[in-house]
Amino acid sequence: MKTVTKEVLKTTANKLMFDMPDEQYDQLVSEFDILIKQMNLIGEIDGVDTAEPMTFPFDVTNDYLREDVATAPENKEEILKNSADVVDGQIRLPKVVK
Amino acid sequence: MEFEAVIGLEIHVEMKTKSKMFSSGPVSYGEDPNTEVNVVDMGFPGVMPVVNKQAVINAIRVSNALHMSIDDVVMFERKNYFYSDLPKGYQITQQFRPIGTNGYLIINTTQGERKIGIERLHMEEDTCKQLHSWDFSLLDYNRAGIPLIEIVSRPDLRTGEEAAKYVEKIRSIVSFLDVSDGKMEEGSLRCDVNISLREKGTEKFGTKVEIKNLNSIANIQKAIDFEISRQSIILDFGGVIEQETRRFDEGSKETVLMRVKTDAVDYKYFTEPNIAPIKLSKEFIDEAIKTSPELAEVKLERYKGLGLNEYDSSLLLADKDISNYYDEAIKSGANPKLLANWIIGDVQSVLNKEGISIKSFKVSPSLLAELVLLIEQGKVSNKQAREFFAKMIENPISPKKLLEESGTSLISDEDTLKAIVKEVVDANEQSVIDYKNGKDRALGFIVGQIMKKTQGKANPGLTSILVLEEIKRR
Repeated sequence: MKTVTKEVLKTTANKLMFDMPDEQYDQLVSEFDILIKQMNLIGEIDGVDTAEPMTFPFDVTNDYLREDVATAPENKEEILKNSADVVDGQIRLPKVVK
Repeated sequence: MEFEAVIGLEIHVEMKTKSKMFSSGPVSYGEDPNTEVNVVDMGFPGVMPVVNKQAVINAIRVSNALHMSIDDVVMFERKNYFYSDLPKGYQITQQFRPIGTNGYLIINTTQGERKIGIERLHMEEDTCKQLHSWDFSLLDYNRAGIPLIEIVSRPDLRTGEEAAKYVEKIRSIVSFLDVSDGKMEEGSLRCDVNISLREKGTEKFGTKVEIKNLNSIANIQKAIDFEISRQSIILDFGGVIEQETRRFDEGSKETVLMRVKTDAVDYKYFTEPNIAPIKLSKEFIDEAIKTSPELAEVKLERYKGLGLNEYDSSLLLADKDISNYYDEAIKSGANPKLLANWIIGDVQSVLNKEGISIKSFKVSPSLLAELVLLIEQGKVSNKQAREFFAKMIENPISPKKLLEESGTSLISDEDTLKAIVKEVVDANEQSVIDYKNGKDRALGFIVGQIMKKTQGKANPGLTSILVLEEIKRR
């Protein structure tokens, strides 16, 4: 397993296009340390390697599909209320393509 | 060196359902930005996706048309990536269990028939529309959540022409099945091309280049043809093909570099936990297929059965709405061949002249059929029918009514006509003798006299028959 070091975190943060103060990286490294120890503990359980990942607690299916009927849309002002920058009814953000 | 192109296509089809893939938000086009959205489409916390029944029916119908195996359990995954076109931070798609798998499509090219394998067909939701200005981007979420079908071909295509024919056929299928408008220029059908070259006769794939932003079928062909020659030149000179994404530039008719692909993005797919697996009953799947609108190739066989030739049929089938118009018109019982001629000829010429689609054409299928029936029954001549048609384009009234108003109904009643024929033949005994002596023109003279007498109202076909009968009797 890859060790989570400060360098790994910095590279990851860089890929996600953000940065943070050094002490926060240190804090994150120590938090990951605990997390990984806990994960290793789980890894010691018998048969854990062969267990299938579980999404649903029960192996059941349903047959419900929604009828294709449109309902009235939400009020535009309500929809855009959380946006910091709205121009002509559209959300404006720094350009995302080159 | 001689190269062979290996081409695979990914086609996204936007469905024209009434509501979105996972919400009851409306699907509509051309509305003001962010007015056709609800909380599910915006990915607000706590909202739950619910699968659209019609979208599933559509996916089953297209899968069936593409000869695919249909999975009877519908499951979805989350495709996680961080980008502004995604309100939720993930797109709900079918990564692991696409509804359709392992199909094919037969295409006809100038090189003959080709069978193109189709790997998968899955349902997913569309992203929001981004408008990029010089220093900012604008987001319109109206498109977010619109149901999509993605169709992934096997790398079986070899030329630009084959790719164009393949897309043309998919477009026809989704359009005839009423699944989508299938308009590339409006983005309801979008196509990405994967293309690599390899030395002819070898099996190993070369480095793949992806081409995006193709907005017409003609451009798909042009982009592929350009890309084949671009890559051939590089390889001929000992160069290396970079794995990259390119786009087609309309102006220069060339593909240009968008970005070089570095490491593959890991989308960290996992099962969408908010949608429990949905089991489709055999009855549900069968019903979706049974009630499916007719495909163009099925209609073609039906038209041939009505006595239409392949060429005329293909003209009617070039546009789904025109073929629907025709189908509606033949319900009246009018002669199918005659009706087809009118639609291909007179109607089409009006549409071309006015630059409108058949949907905006004022003369309804039943009115056109009524006109054709009048011709068939000998009540109006072709010339008269054209005059009526011209009037109907202006003001779509019943041709029967036009006939009444004009008072020029052809005399088609046999007894009435027989009496006139007898009268005229009696008065022209010399013509009868001439005709019997081999002068065919004499017949024309007699018919002409009858026309004169009836002011052109005698049904010409019937008149000729009756005159001949009368002459024989003498």
